[in-house]
Amino acid sequence: MKRQQIINGVIALVIGVLIFVTPFIFIGLTAVKSAAEASQLGLSWPSEWLFWDNLVAVIQARNYMLLLAYFNSTVITVGAISLLVISAAMIGYVIQRRPSKWNGFIYALILAGLMIPPAVVPTIWLLKELHLFKTLHGMILIQVAYGLSFSVLLFRSFIASIPRDLDEAAIIDGAKPWQVFFKVILPLLKPVTVTVILVQSVTIFNDFTNPLYYLPGKDNVTVQLTLYNFQSQFSSQMNLLFMNILLVTIPPLIMFIFFNKQIVKGMTAGAVKG
Amino acid sequence: MKSSRSYPYWFILPGGLVYLVLFLVPTVAAFWFSLTHWDLFETRFIGLENYYQFLREPFLITGVVNTVIFGVLTSIAKSVLGLLLAVLLTSGLLGQSFLRTLIFFPVLVSTIGVGIAFAEIMHPARGMLNIGLSYFGIQGPAWLIDPNLALFSVALVDIWKGVGLATLIYIAGLATISSDYYEAARIDGATKLQMFFRITVPLVRPATVTVVTLSLIGGLRSFDIIWAMTKGGPGFSSDVLASVIYKQYQAGFYGLSTAGNIILFALVAFIVIPLTYWFNRREVDL
Amino acid sequence: MATVRLKNIHKEFNGVKILKGIDLDVNDGEFCVFVGPSGCGKSTLLRIISGLEDATSGTIEIGEKDVTKSDPIDRGIAMVFQSYALYPHLTVRDNIGFGLSLAKRPKSEIKERVNAAAEMLQLESLLDRKPKDLSGGQRQRVAIGRAIVREPEVFLFDEPLSNLDAALRSKMRIELTELHATLNATMIYVTHDQIEAMTMADKIVVLNAGHIEQVGTPMELYHHPQTPFVAGFIGSPKMNLFEGAIAKEHNADLYGIRPEHLTLSPKEGKWKGVVKHIEQLGADAIVHIHVESLGMLVARADGDFSITAGSTIYATPQEGKEHLF
Repeated sequence: MKRQQIINGVIALVIGVLIFVTPFIFIGLTAVKSAAEASQLGLSWPSEWLFWDNLVAVIQARNYMLLLAYFNSTVITVGAISLLVISAAMIGYVIQRRPSKWNGFIYALILAGLMIPPAVVPTIWLLKELHLFKTLHGMILIQVAYGLSFSVLLFRSFIASIPRDLDEAAIIDGAKPWQVFFKVILPLLKPVTVTVILVQSVTIFNDFTNPLYYLPGKDNVTVQLTLYNFQSQFSSQMNLLFMNILLVTIPPLIMFIFFNKQIVKGMTAGAVKG
Repeated sequence: MKSSRSYPYWFILPGGLVYLVLFLVPTVAAFWFSLTHWDLFETRFIGLENYYQFLREPFLITGVVNTVIFGVLTSIAKSVLGLLLAVLLTSGLLGQSFLRTLIFFPVLVSTIGVGIAFAEIMHPARGMLNIGLSYFGIQGPAWLIDPNLALFSVALVDIWKGVGLATLIYIAGLATISSDYYEAARIDGATKLQMFFRITVPLVRPATVTVVTLSLIGGLRSFDIIWAMTKGGPGFSSDVLASVIYKQYQAGFYGLSTAGNIILFALVAFIVIPLTYWFNRREVDL
Repeated sequence: MATVRLKNIHKEFNGVKILKGIDLDVNDGEFCVFVGPSGCGKSTLLRIISGLEDATSGTIEIGEKDVTKSDPIDRGIAMVFQSYALYPHLTVRDNIGFGLSLAKRPKSEIKERVNAAAEMLQLESLLDRKPKDLSGGQRQRVAIGRAIVREPEVFLFDEPLSNLDAALRSKMRIELTELHATLNATMIYVTHDQIEAMTMADKIVVLNAGHIEQVGTPMELYHHPQTPFVAGFIGSPKMNLFEGAIAKEHNADLYGIRPEHLTLSPKEGKWKGVVKHIEQLGADAIVHIHVESLGMLVARADGDFSITAGSTIYATPQEGKEHLF
């Protein structure tokens, strides 16, 4: 490595840390301060280290709302992703394997899902008619509908790399169509399934807008909604609000630490081909 | 072909049904509801009245204009910064993989969390940002309080949060450019700057298409970040269509809210579809 | 064991006629090779026999039973693919036993039959490996094992050797011939390689542009090609084919003589020409000769035949080895 590169690297690192790390340090420090100190908004070292007190206070707030929120968010994320993976893989498989005059139309519908902002009030009306409004399973189905396009596209392009000979060998071996899919194709989709799970779980866990519209009310609160609720309640207790932000940041941080590569791969998928 | 038997269409059914009922039906229904006065129980047809209102009310027009400004600004900034960062972070810099990781992390963090934190960081007097600037002798502005600045301040945070994804997409794109081109150019005596504009920029185009399209679609539909930071204020100065839709929904103007939805849909379609068409047509020329 | 009978098979795809009326009987226990250039429809024909594709019209009988509308599994066939198509996520054992387990055979029976097939193909030590840990030749064997274990009435092979290197290919040719002798099953084998066709087949079917050019034993095709296409396709180097004066002389449209049926002499002969190029193969030499009245003529000479490019040479067709069309 050349001397110039080292110097440039150090400069870039300092600037990078300044811009991209200080906000997180700020969140972390504020989260462990006392309410009075936190309202100063500074980057100063906390005079009292109140991590535990603040953590307990946030968790106990509003009758343990945060625990309920974690439970709800987990149910929504896990439920939606299980349905997404199976249904998107099946769709991606059929449209990749079966060229027909419908493909252009189906493809347009998929792109529409990536582009069109959901019509919220008509969706609420429909959810009410179906008795799905303000329910976790309704929210799960909404997340499936909104995440389907992206997942189908990922599965479709991966399935294109699996030789059709495998399907045919299985057919010759006497497999029914659903056996070809579940016994031969699905086990081979592991890498792309991991990608879909990671990307969608971050998206769904961090989703704020859709629970805001479709899951109003205390019983169905999600993790992101607690932040929004606490924002008004804790306006004088910045430390607790930021402890909440810290807690909300932990799940993606864990994902990030363990699966950085796969997440990056999933999120940049298709960039190369355009 | 026996694909009809081997690849049955009922495989599409489970996901397709959810998609049809919860996404396509409301989208189509929105066209009708946007023409009505609607309280979820009763609808009264009022023609284009909701749309007229959007064009009449100054704060609604502001919302439309702000949406375009926010979407276009963040999209351009993310692609330009993303490309520059990608070039920098593939140049063999010390600690470049660490920097990539650093820049990408905000992408995964809750938008609401980021918004709330930055609202405090941008506090005009006590906020970290202005205190930091004052070390350099700069008197920082009233980021979110100043009505002329609020939208741009939010855009800045959105760029901070999203530039990591753009950078990574560009890095993936740069990886596909063969080093032969650069070596050939060097033999031809090209400078670094010439190589960037004559080789990197044209050859990284597929990544540019992805970054611009993705961030434009995301930017035009932005809601969380704005809602967490300004709630559209001060006044209506940082309202975008998505926040207008929410406000009208909260106020019970369901027809008007839905008209906003249709306008947002139209805006996205009218900007993104011609753009992708243009991108794809240019691709043939290459 | 079964005969395969094709009656007037037509196949059209998107308006393109791929097969134009194929009538063919493959006898019980026969090793039948479909050979032809790429795009001649041989693979499509095999896939129609397998049931992976439907014929546009015509009927297929396997073992006196009309299977035109049957699913592949009900046809009593097994198939070996060009890419082998081994299931990457399953071990060799599970690959071979996949069809039996789909058919819900008892575990003990599956084990027994997989072991028997593995023994026949010397795969016993590889049974617990995954396909990615096998060499090309081993994968080929597993693919064959998967076919054998089903105990089919008809084996279908779709260019199974084309992904192997030359040495392994000639070894597998012999193994497949031996396998055929052991199992005594009907086998249909598709290839574009006329050497595979000549060395393995009981019966060769030469296909060209969607129709059958000729059916016969390898030596029938070699000695008595009925069309110029077959004459040119079977045999290497290709038969010399000439229109014009020499054909008219024999009251034909086309005159043909194989390179190995020309006698060369430095002094005298029927055609006088100049040696343009020599491909020395060791045992043989392929000599390219320019003859004024014919054009380029290819002859096979003994490897020791002393000759140099640019020299004058005489070539004489051997009596009774000429072909007229």
